[in-house]
Amino acid sequence: MRGKWYVLVALGVVALGLAAPLPVSAHGVNLEYTSDVTIEITARYDSGTPMADAQVTVYAPDDDTTPWLTGVCDEEGRFSFVPDTSMPGTWDVQVRLAGHGGIIHIPVGGGTTAADGVGGFTHLQIGLMSACVVWGAVGTALYFSRRRKA
Amino acid sequence: MQKKILFPVVAVAVLAVMLAGCAGSKATGTLQFYANGEDFVRQGFVSKDGWSITFDHVYINLSDIAAYQTDPPYEATSGGDIDPAATVAVDGEYTIDLAEGDENAEPLLVAEVADVAVEHYNALAWKMSKASSGPAAGYSLVIIGTAEKDGESLDFTLNIDEECDYQCGEYVGDMRKGIVAENGTADVEMTFHFDHIFGDGDLPADDELNLAAVGFQPFADGQDAAAVINMTDMHLGHVGEGHCDCGCQ
Repeated sequence: MRGKWYVLVALGVVALGLAAPLPVSAHGVNLEYTSDVTIEITARYDSGTPMADAQVTVYAPDDDTTPWLTGVCDEEGRFSFVPDTSMPGTWDVQVRLAGHGGIIHIPVGGGTTAADGVGGFTHLQIGLMSACVVWGAVGTALYFSRRRKA
Repeated sequence: MQKKILFPVVAVAVLAVMLAGCAGSKATGTLQFYANGEDFVRQGFVSKDGWSITFDHVYINLSDIAAYQTDPPYEATSGGDIDPAATVAVDGEYTIDLAEGDENAEPLLVAEVADVAVEHYNALAWKMSKASSGPAAGYSLVIIGTAEKDGESLDFTLNIDEECDYQCGEYVGDMRKGIVAENGTADVEMTFHFDHIFGDGDLPADDELNLAAVGFQPFADGQDAAAVINMTDMHLGHVGEGHCDCGCQ
């Protein structure tokens, strides 16, 4: 009988640990801001000659293969655009002219977004870890209940 | 009682290890490696000094070929070694005839590697090395063709024994390359710009490319290719229009 209580207590502790955290009421402050980041590319040959009218292709972080924007450099080899800051990461800008070209990688924004799940683990892995913890708790409770009976 | 507890404990532990392993297995695809001499080789061109050149064979010997995923992306213009997060290496050496096929031929498949990790392979490296056998035995590059100018026609063979290491960033061209999707096939390309050796008659004489190129006249005058051509200065290897860091000896 006492052993069953140990099991119930162990399960209760585990359940509390896995439960979602309760919202905390506090006098918090919510701040928001918006900003437009303009990126300007200047393309020149090794000699310093501007790559006037060079073709420009911009790729956003969420799609490596589909151009997000295309355009042409001006007579000074300059091209500017405003990236979508809701897509933080590396923006790739390719510039080509007359058989010469290059690609530049521009970080925009910062931080990383959490993967599905917690701490990068999948739901399956979390489930397995939880099951192992539960089983360990049950086993420990049963062990101590047997010792008391002995 | 002990047996009743022990068996399920062991069973759960074994199952947990197996399923965790399955959950962590990575998706894979296939990566192909191509070599491309471009239209300069397939269709011929006029050199900076007015020779109309067509190519019968352009044998290039390639080894130590590898594609890499790099983060941050490798910048060939800065030089230095590639620091890969993932690597796909090709074993062996390959003698490729860049002039193979007709004037509209596609780039040539050098090798294919299956079961590679799903990645964007944004750097490429290879060595132009002396061939151990085959039509380019003893040389890293053999160019065979015909040059014509002012009614004169010359059959020529140029043998290069310099060995060059190329370390290149991402391919630059109409489409991005090296992006391997799950169960998909992607490709990367070793591109060779032979106008860097002979120059281009369609460009001004004072164009940077023509100023650096040797043209064809030295060979018409009977000079040996190995004496005339410094492969480091030629920057023959590219990735599409993208540049490579090159060292030759």
